[in-house]
Order: sequence, then C-alpha cells, then structure tokens
Amino acid sequence: MQRYILRRLAQLIPSLLLITFLVFALMHAIPGDPARMMLGAGEQLDAKQLEIVRREYNLDRPLPVQYVLWLAKAASGDLGRSTTSQRRVGEEVAMRAGITFQLGLFAWLIGICIAIPAGIVSAVHRGRWPDMLATMGAVGAVALPGFWLGIMMILLFGVTLGWLPTRGYVPLAVDPLESLRHMLLPAIALGITSSALVTRQMRSALLEVLAQDYIRTARAKGLARWAIVIGHALRNAMLPVITVMGLEIGRIFAGSVVIETLFGIPGMGRLMVQAVFTRDFPVVQGCVLVMATAVLVINFATDILYAVLDPRIRYDK
Amino acid sequence: MATGKALKRRTLLHSTLLGAGASVMLARHGRAQAEKPQYGGKLRVAYNLAPGALDPVVGRSGGDAYYWRQFVDQLVDADPSLNPRASTSLAQSWDVSDPRKVVLNLRKGVKFHDGTDFNADAVKFNIERLLDPATKATPRSAFTPVDTVDVVDEHIVRFNLKRPWGSVLSTLADRGGAMNSPTAVKKLGQDYLFKPVSTGPFKVAEFVSGSHVRFVRNENYWGRDEAGNPLPYLDEIVMNTVPDPTVQVSALKAGEMDLIYLPYREVGNFETNPAYTVRKYEGGGIAFLLSFNLAKPPMDNVNLRQAIAHAINPDVINRAVYFGRAIPAKSGMWPPGAWAHDPTVPRPSYSVAKAKEFLAKGGRPNGFEMEAVIWPSDLNTPTAEIVRAQLGAIGIKLTYKVYETTVATEKFYYGSDAPMFLTSWSRYPEPEWVASLIYRSDGYYNAGKVKDDRLDALVDSGVAVADIPARRAIYRKVDEIVLGEAIMVPMLYGVTYAAAHKAVQGVDDVFGWDAKMYLHRMWLKKA
Repeated sequence: MQRYILRRLAQLIPSLLLITFLVFALMHAIPGDPARMMLGAGEQLDAKQLEIVRREYNLDRPLPVQYVLWLAKAASGDLGRSTTSQRRVGEEVAMRAGITFQLGLFAWLIGICIAIPAGIVSAVHRGRWPDMLATMGAVGAVALPGFWLGIMMILLFGVTLGWLPTRGYVPLAVDPLESLRHMLLPAIALGITSSALVTRQMRSALLEVLAQDYIRTARAKGLARWAIVIGHALRNAMLPVITVMGLEIGRIFAGSVVIETLFGIPGMGRLMVQAVFTRDFPVVQGCVLVMATAVLVINFATDILYAVLDPRIRYDK
Repeated sequence: MATGKALKRRTLLHSTLLGAGASVMLARHGRAQAEKPQYGGKLRVAYNLAPGALDPVVGRSGGDAYYWRQFVDQLVDADPSLNPRASTSLAQSWDVSDPRKVVLNLRKGVKFHDGTDFNADAVKFNIERLLDPATKATPRSAFTPVDTVDVVDEHIVRFNLKRPWGSVLSTLADRGGAMNSPTAVKKLGQDYLFKPVSTGPFKVAEFVSGSHVRFVRNENYWGRDEAGNPLPYLDEIVMNTVPDPTVQVSALKAGEMDLIYLPYREVGNFETNPAYTVRKYEGGGIAFLLSFNLAKPPMDNVNLRQAIAHAINPDVINRAVYFGRAIPAKSGMWPPGAWAHDPTVPRPSYSVAKAKEFLAKGGRPNGFEMEAVIWPSDLNTPTAEIVRAQLGAIGIKLTYKVYETTVATEKFYYGSDAPMFLTSWSRYPEPEWVASLIYRSDGYYNAGKVKDDRLDALVDSGVAVADIPARRAIYRKVDEIVLGEAIMVPMLYGVTYAAAHKAVQGVDDVFGWDAKMYLHRMWLKKA
C-alpha cells in the first residue's frame, strides 16, 4: 500500500507538468498580444513601455524558454506577478483558492447530503412513488442551469423573502454563521447539479448489490430491511459512487466560475476567467496549477479510499 | 509672479466654458443644498469592474476612476462639464498663457494621508514618475508635451513644454493629474499599486481582491462645502465589485447596496418606485458607433461608408435594445454636454434612398458582402443583429466576428481584422483625446493608419491653442470632415442612470465629468 501511494504521488508530477504546459501553449494560441493587453488596448500604448513589459515578463523569449523560466520559478514557490494588476500571483491565488475550496466543499457536501439518501430511497422503493420522485428530481437538477437556479434563489430568498444575503463573502474566521449564510445559496446552486448524477449512480449501484446472494441470505436470516441496506449493501454499493463523487469535484470547480460571478464571491473561478480575458498568463498558470493539483489529489484520495472500503483491493500485490 | 495672469486666464476660461456646459443635465456645486448634511454612516456601492490598480497613474482599466476618485485630489479638478474648478483642485490657480509653459500655484497646508507635505517637490516627483517608462504609467503618452518640471518655490511649480498643450487643464483633471505621496511610493515600490496614499477626502482602508475596496473618512481633509462645513460627510464607503448588473439590481432591492448605476432595462422600474432616487447623465458615453478601417476594402470607399451610415436607423435600435433610453446621435464623437459638441454638424441621417444612392455612386449598386467585428454584451449582440437586417435591406450582406472586448479592440485597430467595428466609447469631453487617438494618422484608433493631411493639421492646431472658441471652431471643421466622409459615425449617445435608496443624499452630485462615480459629497439621511 505504501509503495502504491508513493508511486501514485510520483505520477502526479508528470500530469501536472503536462497540464501546465498545455495551458501555457493554449494561452499563447489565444489572439492578442499580452504586452499590449497589459498596457491597455491602445491609447496608453508607448513603444518604450511595451519593451519594458516584454522584457520584464520574458515575452521576448521563445515559448519553450518562457515555460521553463516560469517552471523554475514556480518550483521555488514564486508564481510571478500578474500582468494586469502586478500583484503577486502566489498571494492572490492563495487568497482566492481558500474561498473557492470552501464553496466547493460546501456545494459538494450539499450534493452528497441530497444524493445519497435520495439514491438509497430510490433503490429501496424501486418503481414506486419515492423512486419516481427522486428520478424526476435528478433529471430536473441535471436540466437546470446552475446560474438560472442561482438567479431564481436570489430573487426568492434574497429579494422577496429577505432571508439570505444575495451576494458577497464573509470569511469563516471573521463570522462563521454569516459565512455559512452567504455560502448557502451559491452552494445549493452549485451542488444541486452534481447531486443528480450521484443520485442516479447510487440508485443503480445499490440495486445491483441488493440483487446479490448475500443480501438474500441476510434477508433469510430475518434482518430488518434498513439494517440490510445500511449495514450490508451500502458499503459495497459505495465503490462506484465514490468514483463519481471524486469526479464531481472537477465539475464543481468548473461550475464555480459562473456561480462565483453571480454571487459576487471573490474566488479562483472568477479570477481565472478575468485572467483569460486579459491574457494574464501568470495568473492563469497559477490558478491552473492549484486547481489541477486539487483535482489530482482528490482523485488520488478516491483511489486510496477504494482500498479502505474494499479490503479485496490490494494495490501493492 | 504668475498669479495675476493666472486669475485673468481662469476667469476667461470659466466664462467661456460655463456657457458651453449648460446643456449638461446636472450642475454640481452651484445649487444650494436643501438640507443640512448629516455626518456619519457607511455608503455601500456596487460597480461591475474590479480595479486594475488603485494607484490612479498605473491602473489600466477605464473603471479604475470609480475607485481612485474617492481618495485622490488632482492638480486640476473639473466640474461635470470638464470646466476646470479651482475650488476643489490642488492648484489654486494656473497660468497657461505662455504656450511653452504651464505654471501651477499650489494650495498650501495640504498633507498626504501619511503626513507627507503636498508641495511643488511632490508635484515634480509625481510628473517625473509618470514620465519614466519604467513606471509603466497609463497616461504617459498624454504627457509627452512635458519636457521638464521646475520647482519655482515651495508652492509654485512650472511645466516646461516641448510644444503647446491646449488640453493641459483637462488632462490634469484625468488620472495623470492625481497626486500620490512620494514617501509612500518610494517606500512600497510595486506594492504601492494597491496601497495608495493621496490627499483626497477618503483614505483606502482595505482592498480585498475581487470583492471590495473600503474607504474611510480623511479626518484632516482640507475641502469644505459651500456652507463651510468640512468634507466629506460619510465615515465610510464600501465599493463592491459586482460584475453582473442583474445581481447589482437585486442587491439594491434587497437593501444590501445603497447606490448603483442602472442597466437600461431597469430604469423604468426604478423611476416609478418612490423608494429610490434616480438621476441621469445624458451623453455618459457613445453607446453605439460605427468605426471603419479606411485602408481595408470595401470601406476604403467613402461612398460605401456613407451608404452604410445612411442605412442604419438608430431609432429602431434605441427602441428595441436600449428601451428608448439612449439618445440617437445628432452629431459626432464629442458627447452632449462637452463644449466641442456641435449638433449643427449633422451625422449621416437614416435614409434608405440616400444609402442606395451612395451604393450606386460607390460602384456597388447591388450591395456587397462584408465582415465586421463586435464584442458581446446584452446591448451589442442584438444591436449587431438589427444592423445586419438593416444593411441587408440595401443588399449589404454582413457577417460578424465576435471577440472579447480587449481582443476585439486590438484585432480591429492593430490587426486590421475587418473593415468595420460595431463598438462603444467612453465619455471623452476633451476633444483632443478623441482627435489625437482616432483622427491623427498615427492615432491608435485610426484603424488603417490612413494619413489625411487635413485632419493631421487640424488635430495639431486644436491642441496648439488654449482659447476655447478658437478650439471649438477647429473641432467643428474636424467633425465636418469626419462625418462628411463617414470616418467614425456615432449612432447612439449613452445616458448613464444612477439609482439610490431615498436615504442617500447628494445623488445629484454623483456624476463626474466622465460620468463615473464621484462620491465626495454623498451623505446619509438618518431616519
């Protein structure tokens, strides 16, 4: 197991290199000169300033050299400075990443809290009204765009009823209750879509397990239905669900781009979109590095969880 | 001593400019306040762009002024019509009578927020910092007429000019005239960009990237209102970055914001709601205009440009897209309320018959195919569709490419990507800024870099004199050429709308000369 963990950890490095290089190359494929973007589209343009910017950000070097220079600095913890705000990328990304992770985690938990019970009820009552209701809910949740749901919730809970704030962010350390109140609507808007897929996955996995012989044996022993589901079936049914839950993290990150903008949350999604528009390479690279690392680490954790949940899985053999 | 001359000069400037500025909707400081302002309170404002930087000189975004205007003073401040206003400026008077010199008499006893004295040395430091290419200052190119800066005495500073600079006072009223503390700039280096120190009515207390900037009252501010009360009235302003206008409106309705600028579609709802104060600024920008690349066929043909300009009906676009709230353009690029605005030089009017006539004159009676560039927004995209339909009616088949704003601007003006650009323009009341950027042969916004000796000469002469009637006559000639040959054709002038809760007072003063927010005189009426 230890060897497996070390091997998987080592595999993260080439994945990260590949991802950051691809993003670096793609950013250069986007039209627009970054030095000109930095100095403003035109009126402020000045040849001397342009030259200084090109030199300062290594934009006058060949692309592979630029990448290697970025990588060397990044390896020592220096992600450079933003070409638009000239702020340190490391500081900026660290501040934003914490907020996005908080939102993402909250959304993910909301998704799971809805999906796991809904999936179980749906499987246990297959073909009956609770199943129909859960299925309809799941289909609806997939079909609803998160931003539309967000706007509707803002109008209902924020403007009409005045129960929850419509926008903004309060740090958890400053006021935990207010922080959660601010996060609730965006987290629901973000988490509800991912709950749908997990619900469906939970339902089908549980149905498959419930049809197995050992469940029939348990039933024959006279165990209560819920004891069988929770105690015997659920653990085995969770394996594919965990895979989907892990993958959903990536989707939540992607969705946060829109939701953060809608709810005025100063997270990484918003930062990255803005950076792409203004061709702010160092910021895009910094965000991608953090997001890619997060997704890879979560996938890695998912794999480890497999072995914990199912002792038959032994990677080091 | 320059003071006597300066006073005469200023009086002259004021008397000529005030007449020209009369059409601006709101006069700011001439009106007596109905109620005595109350001190204290926090004003919560939403605006859609985050600051590019808080240092006014280095920030690149057009939205930066919403932030820096609250905490800086400028060498020359201006009223909503861009008339220089000594009473709110760091220079108490000025002398621009010598075309090779600008002399500023500075206000005494003013200190930066960090306690540094504001004096001639500080001005010299600021202007030299701006001119140093390593600062990467945004207004550097606008300051190229400055050769050297001399400290005459502690409170008199002189700019020695390489060439006459007729637009100097307007230029000093923009970001280049904002003063930063030399002590703080030297101490903080690059970190100064988000920790600025100036002399204005508010101080920057907190900047949270992507979220908000919090300003607190400068207790030692030198400014007074007409009754002699110290400014500002508010304790605090929180300027929130809220990119989506729908969310801004929801936040205002939910009571989480006190003041926002309204999207056109919401104006009617707020105007009829007695819980809000709504104010407007006509000519807050050029909402929709046609920009042509004069070197790129088929728009190198003046008749075909005229055909397009006559074929588009801005009234239809105004009704369908702008809820009838914008103003169909009567004239050129100098916006309503600016002294150069002259509706007697007409824009090519909507006429299908004339459009067809020009098509025939241009040798393409049956129309042609053409590409345009646009950038997407809830206003631009439907506008482009209407333009396509209207041009289709005279046989012009228009296709358009959509890029994000800065990319579209760069591709069109620098990359010669298409012969036409459907875009908008900020409020530029100083005609020199538009003229040198668009009409001069080396102007960035002269898409084809087409050399026109008549325009080059006019643009140069427009900035060589300071006398407003003389300049107005020059810019009228510019407009005659530009509109007569359809070089850049505004279709709709924008109107900026502000909405605030009834408790917010001083909303009449919210618009600066560039229609951006100016919150120095806001106050909150306690219930």
